[in-house]
Amino acid sequence: MRLTGKTAIVTGAARGLGRACALTFAAEGADLLLLDIAQDLDGVPYPLGTAGQLEHTADLCRQAGAATVTAAVDVRDARQCARAVDQALDRFGRVDVLVNNAGIASPSGKVAHDISEREWSLMIDVDLSGAWRMMKAVAPAMVQRRSGSIINVSSTAGTVGYRHFASYVAAKHGLIGLTRAAALDYAPVQVRVNALCPGSVRDDPVLEGRMLAEIARSLEVSVDDHERIFVRDQPMNALIEPSDIANAALWLATDESRQVTGSVLTVDGGFTSR
Amino acid sequence: MTTSTIDDLASGCHSLVLRLPDTADAQRLLSGVTPGPVHVWRTEVPAGSDEPTGRDRRRAESLRPLHRDGPPLRAVALQYTDGATDLVLVAVRTVIPPAALLRIARTVLDGSGDPLPPVPAAATRPAPVQRGRLDWGLGDPRLLGVTGSTRIDLTSLPAGAERFLPAAIALAVSRYSGGDPTALGVLDLENGPGEDIGVHALDAPRQGTIADLLHRLDQPPTAPQEPPPVGVVLSPAFEDGTYTACLAPVFPLTVQLDRGCALATCWFDQGIVDATVARQFCGHVAHLAGQLAAGDAQRPQVGLELLPQAEQAALLQAGRAGADGDSVPVRGRIDRAFEAVAAKQPQAVALVADEEELTYRQLDERAEAVAAGLRALDVPPGSRIGVCLDRDAELVVTLLGVLKADCAYVPMDPRYPAQRLSFTTCNAELPVVITTAAEFPAEPGTRVLTPQEVARPAAKGAAAGPGRRPAGEKGHQGDDPAYVIYTSGSTGTPKGVVVPHRNVLALLRATERDFALGPDDTWTLFHSSAFDFSVWEMWGCLLTGGRLIVVPYWTTRDTDEFYTLLAEQRVTVLNQTPSAFAQLIRHDQHARRQLALRLVIFGGEPLDARMLAPWFARHPATDCRLVNMFGITETTVHVTAQTVTPHEVVTGSRSVGRPLPGWSVSVRDEQGRVLPPGPAGEIYVGGAGVADRYLGLPELTRQRFVVDETTGERVYRSGDKGRLRPDGRLDHLGRLDNQVKIRGHRIELDEIRAVLMGAPHVTAAAVVVNRDQPDDPAGSRIDAYVVLTTAAEADRAQVLAHARATLPDYMMPATLTPVSEIPLTINGKPDTSKLPDPRAAAPAGLPEARQPVEAEAASGAVPDALADTVLSIWSKQLNTPVKPQDNFFVLGGNSLLVVRVLAEMRERNLPKVSLKQFYRHSTAAEFTELVRQLQDSSH
Repeated sequence: MRLTGKTAIVTGAARGLGRACALTFAAEGADLLLLDIAQDLDGVPYPLGTAGQLEHTADLCRQAGAATVTAAVDVRDARQCARAVDQALDRFGRVDVLVNNAGIASPSGKVAHDISEREWSLMIDVDLSGAWRMMKAVAPAMVQRRSGSIINVSSTAGTVGYRHFASYVAAKHGLIGLTRAAALDYAPVQVRVNALCPGSVRDDPVLEGRMLAEIARSLEVSVDDHERIFVRDQPMNALIEPSDIANAALWLATDESRQVTGSVLTVDGGFTSR
Repeated sequence: MTTSTIDDLASGCHSLVLRLPDTADAQRLLSGVTPGPVHVWRTEVPAGSDEPTGRDRRRAESLRPLHRDGPPLRAVALQYTDGATDLVLVAVRTVIPPAALLRIARTVLDGSGDPLPPVPAAATRPAPVQRGRLDWGLGDPRLLGVTGSTRIDLTSLPAGAERFLPAAIALAVSRYSGGDPTALGVLDLENGPGEDIGVHALDAPRQGTIADLLHRLDQPPTAPQEPPPVGVVLSPAFEDGTYTACLAPVFPLTVQLDRGCALATCWFDQGIVDATVARQFCGHVAHLAGQLAAGDAQRPQVGLELLPQAEQAALLQAGRAGADGDSVPVRGRIDRAFEAVAAKQPQAVALVADEEELTYRQLDERAEAVAAGLRALDVPPGSRIGVCLDRDAELVVTLLGVLKADCAYVPMDPRYPAQRLSFTTCNAELPVVITTAAEFPAEPGTRVLTPQEVARPAAKGAAAGPGRRPAGEKGHQGDDPAYVIYTSGSTGTPKGVVVPHRNVLALLRATERDFALGPDDTWTLFHSSAFDFSVWEMWGCLLTGGRLIVVPYWTTRDTDEFYTLLAEQRVTVLNQTPSAFAQLIRHDQHARRQLALRLVIFGGEPLDARMLAPWFARHPATDCRLVNMFGITETTVHVTAQTVTPHEVVTGSRSVGRPLPGWSVSVRDEQGRVLPPGPAGEIYVGGAGVADRYLGLPELTRQRFVVDETTGERVYRSGDKGRLRPDGRLDHLGRLDNQVKIRGHRIELDEIRAVLMGAPHVTAAAVVVNRDQPDDPAGSRIDAYVVLTTAAEADRAQVLAHARATLPDYMMPATLTPVSEIPLTINGKPDTSKLPDPRAAAPAGLPEARQPVEAEAASGAVPDALADTVLSIWSKQLNTPVKPQDNFFVLGGNSLLVVRVLAEMRERNLPKVSLKQFYRHSTAAEFTELVRQLQDSSH
């Protein structure tokens, strides 16, 4: 049990990577505050996590023995972020780990100058500013205890470009910039900030089918070809499993990585090393 | 044992776990108990309430501190799969004190709670406590802030034992602290909402009765300047539920005692207190509480037992390393064991000294000639024979010959002053002294002979000749003394330690396999035969078939030469004092030659493992094993062994390891009672190495070699301070009295003081050891202070002359400072801390030798660059201004500082000066002249 007695907050926890992180942390003894927007978002052309999915993640964590609290939080709203963190502090007395996983992959599929002001703002607001708002809410408690690990889930799109994804690539690059700067801000007080860059992840087709279809559409490939192309492009010739990301996050969450801060950890089967 | 992590607020929080009635609605019941809203967190537990998972969750929840900025009360309803629900309340004590928590409990359980007084809007929250040190805690600094807990179970003790718990804790703390004044902290939670920590001072419990102690603890505690490391938290009785008074230790070691409850909880910071030590401490507290409850209050405290008998026996057993393979005591004689080796490998080289090389057969034959010669002198078997020879082949031949003649050797260093040689000769009643020293002092009844005069080449086969005792006689069991080595004595005079043959054989049996000693090894005989390290060097080598390189005296003083010898002779086993090895390490940094060392053994003085870092950088631990050994002459060279690895270097370990197979170690208090791991006490050594006795000192022998009442074993009280660790290893903490070890020499400061007191015009004297650099053992210096009847400078010179005539060089004070009086402590003991800085006084130079210097300076001597260089090197190494007429050794120079001077000269490209030359040109002017000549001759 590598996280016994520790408390973690995971955003975007209703499904996918967030759920995988939550379950992995629960199995290692952490107590959890699981957050998700738990509703669809105007402008995102695929369904987001639901309250039912969030509760299902929480139930799975409770079965694993974690004291688990859930809340519907839109990371675009600073007050909601702050309230959620207060909840974690009231219930658990401390926050050790924050996984900034909440994010959207679309609206996408346009060349840069075709992106609307609104589409651009939405992407930046969720994928970049959302992580900053959660950090803003959590950091004071971590600074006070002089201990903590913040894990920002960026993407390979945080280190390389993808055509037709300018706003997403910009937000994820920005998240790495935020990671590096904040790492320096908090290094003197032993609070660590790192970024995780997943490659193409195999997700539950039931939960993520329409998101993947939207990505395929943006890349102008068929949904069936999409997986084949990604497998071909990732040198290890396999899609990344959600557990691969969760295990990397677990390592960043524990003291095993105590000297790791400001780092960008790619889990992409070698994709960005080509 | 569970752990949780200490939060700032954790020690200021308390908790209560209540089993809710089936019908209870916690949210509704709690709605009125505090002025603010109380949120009840519902948490499902995927297990039954009595399953381990259920219990763990309950416990974890009850130890979960509040957040500093959150509400002062947290309520969590744990819902188990069996339908049961626990309500876990965690609160800030200063805001919701125990009484308020009690009322909340009543409200929840039966609705009878009185209305709560309003919670102050900005109630103060306790500041984080300061965490003190606890020498006996042995905590792991890496775990600082991690809470451990354990229970003190009093249920099996007489009723009411819990009343005595504070007194039992006070007694245990006092005993653990070795009787030093200490204190017990108290936080009484029934005393209103106050968080004021009180403290009871505890003196050494030697005199007082139990009643005195109980009376003292009944007095109101005083306010501490800083919280003591051990304390009691007294909490009110909670009829319902499980109450925890603090979620992290208030004191680094905290005992929570619930009124009227026979179960107390001990909380401790694992960074300060090791879990094993804490558990054991709690056991001892319980044992003391039982005795207090059962006993007569007029009994003296000192009579109470800290450890139950069974635990004492178990500790003694644990301190006894099993003899290798079997526990049959080792029997036999050194000379017979040598003969067996010689018979097995007669042609193998046994001894190398300068140009001379002796095979095992040659050594055996030459020693036999010595034995035959002694027999021919009608020296009866069992006699003690003085041997005062320099380190050469003759020394080893003679020592072996003495043993072969069924005699014991009494080694004397030819460099000792005549007075010390006379003393040993008379004290040991030596009928014969074998020496090459022409000036060896004559004593009536003692024949002083050279080795040549003694040796009598025997006929072939004489080894089994008529002079030998037939095999199988009692003496062959090895009970006869093999040697008598004189050590510094606490009475001011050296005392002879009588060591039988079998002890040495047992030492070899204990180490041979672990160190893989054998015929492939090459050892050095580096140390004086009067220092028992040489016993190990000589017999360790020759009884395992190795090749022994006798290191000439001047080479032992010259690191450069010695290093060359190690490389050329491919020495594999080296024994060194840490001080000497430090010089070798320094040299090793620049040396190009390959060493063949595979085993280095440290002995003679405490090792600071940190000095070995540069060595390990060049010599991996896998190539050459380093072993730190603790030992005493009275226990036959070694007692314990600790392999030193880079890990010990990093941790700055003081461990000397575990006892050798056949040896035993225990740490005891002033009454001789066994102490548990943790507290410091006197090291007692038992087993195969314990010497016979002190020669001619039956009373001292009785005091130091005692029979352990528990085991019936003969043990030696070492006078060394030590502590056991829970893993059975021993930490050596120096001498209990003021006997000190300097560069491997055991020196009783009282002995030096006694000599000074014997000098003319001296009315009082004090001797202290100082170090210029605290971490540099080579910088150790003996400073002496005398009170003279006159202020004449000539008197001081007389004192010095007297000391020089009596004391061996290594015991000579580096400075001698006249003072008007020796300051005393209130106990009437010399207060060395109040003595003036010896630097402020003139160095102990001879005044008449100094005058010309000033005269010369006044006459304005011509500038001399070389002289300036020499003076600056000397000044730097001696850490004092040096003038041309100053003598290096009078200014406190010693052999190690000589080596440093030579090293610095090498760095400055000055000609190489041998040690012998240095000693012969020991004033700065002479030395400068020497260097000038060497420089000229090389051009």
